[in-house]
Amino acid sequence: MKLEPNDIPAVADEYVLGLLEEAERAYVEAEIERNVALRRAVDEARERFLPLDTGLAPVDVSPSLWDAVSSRLPDRPKPSLPVAANPVSAANNNQGSGWRAAAISAMAASVVLAIGLTWSMTRSLDPLVIAVLMNEAGEVQAVVEDYGNDTANVRLLTDFAVPAHKTMQVWTLPSAEMGPMSLGVLDQARSAKLQGWSLPTPEDAQLYEITLEDEGGSPIQRPTGPILAKGFAKLAR
Amino acid sequence: MASVTDQSTDLEAALADCANGDRDGLKRIFDQEAGRLVAVAQRILRRRELAEEVVQESFIRIWTHSHQYSPGRGSARGWIYSIVRNRALNLLRDGRREDLVGDDQVEALQDSDQLNEIMAAWHTLDRNSRLHECLNGLEEIRRRGILMAYVGGYTHGEIAGRLRLPLGTAKSWIRRGLSSLRECMA
Repeated sequence: MKLEPNDIPAVADEYVLGLLEEAERAYVEAEIERNVALRRAVDEARERFLPLDTGLAPVDVSPSLWDAVSSRLPDRPKPSLPVAANPVSAANNNQGSGWRAAAISAMAASVVLAIGLTWSMTRSLDPLVIAVLMNEAGEVQAVVEDYGNDTANVRLLTDFAVPAHKTMQVWTLPSAEMGPMSLGVLDQARSAKLQGWSLPTPEDAQLYEITLEDEGGSPIQRPTGPILAKGFAKLAR
Repeated sequence: MASVTDQSTDLEAALADCANGDRDGLKRIFDQEAGRLVAVAQRILRRRELAEEVVQESFIRIWTHSHQYSPGRGSARGWIYSIVRNRALNLLRDGRREDLVGDDQVEALQDSDQLNEIMAAWHTLDRNSRLHECLNGLEEIRRRGILMAYVGGYTHGEIAGRLRLPLGTAKSWIRRGLSSLRECMA
């Protein structure tokens, strides 16, 4: 399925109304992350029809409903206390200690990752942008450091179960016009340094994602498989 | 109008609190919107317990995905409602609607109730609102099709059946109705 610019408003409306077939809906949900015009059209369609929902009289909900919600909430890391989750750092809250903890905030400072000694390799260059990639549940899965000189480090922070004859592939979206570009594949689902493409200098809020592709990578130079993790870059400061 | 704006600013702030790990933010959204969200889900799913199940799941998703909301992406309220709507529609599409109705008579009865409720959604819109005015300007059958989809969660096929139209005709009428609506509200 290829989305022509002229079709975007109609597709966005039908998406919001729930009229798309399952495959079309899945396509829109994936495309929405990289297609700014589509995202805007969906946001607008949502607002247009929202009064049909907000005009509805509220019903009395079961008294137990909030308890059912709150008992199932996973903890979220608190950005104001980035190192509290780490017992060693918490016990030794001294800036000058041997700990080299770097807090990276991703997506509007929502998720903060404390990175300790495991990632203290020396580098001659600093990355231009860093993207923290999360899965659908909002759990941190990987970090991409893009150096802007056609080199990026991809750090996996969880074990990915990659089926036989499949490969993890890293992508970025330099611009809507350019579309998603491959940074390379991760052999054996391990952290890696990827090199050798030629792309514009990475920018703040640029999208990075990892998808599951057929062995050796997507044959069509576009992501085709499910998204394992994604996130927006922040300029390294 | 001021209260609407305040409400939506409240929701934005509450989502930001959620993203910071503050459960009180989620509770505020719940207190303000849960009753209406259950009503929205129930209008699609017909059954209260399914509607509450959907709202429960949705609040967990609101919590885990709150960092993805940004004010640049439409209203906080629209974002919250879309989560509930999508979950309710998914549940419906997974074939649960069949579980809800036993025989044809019950189905017909529920259907007419639901169709009344769907049209009521339009009638209760603020008369001076743009949406009301623009829906009012549509041909009756196109308006019905659009409302059946958005309010009741009906598919193209279900709409075609209830409006007694061939599927292709129903699809193109709805499409044209949506196009007129966009122009009218632009």
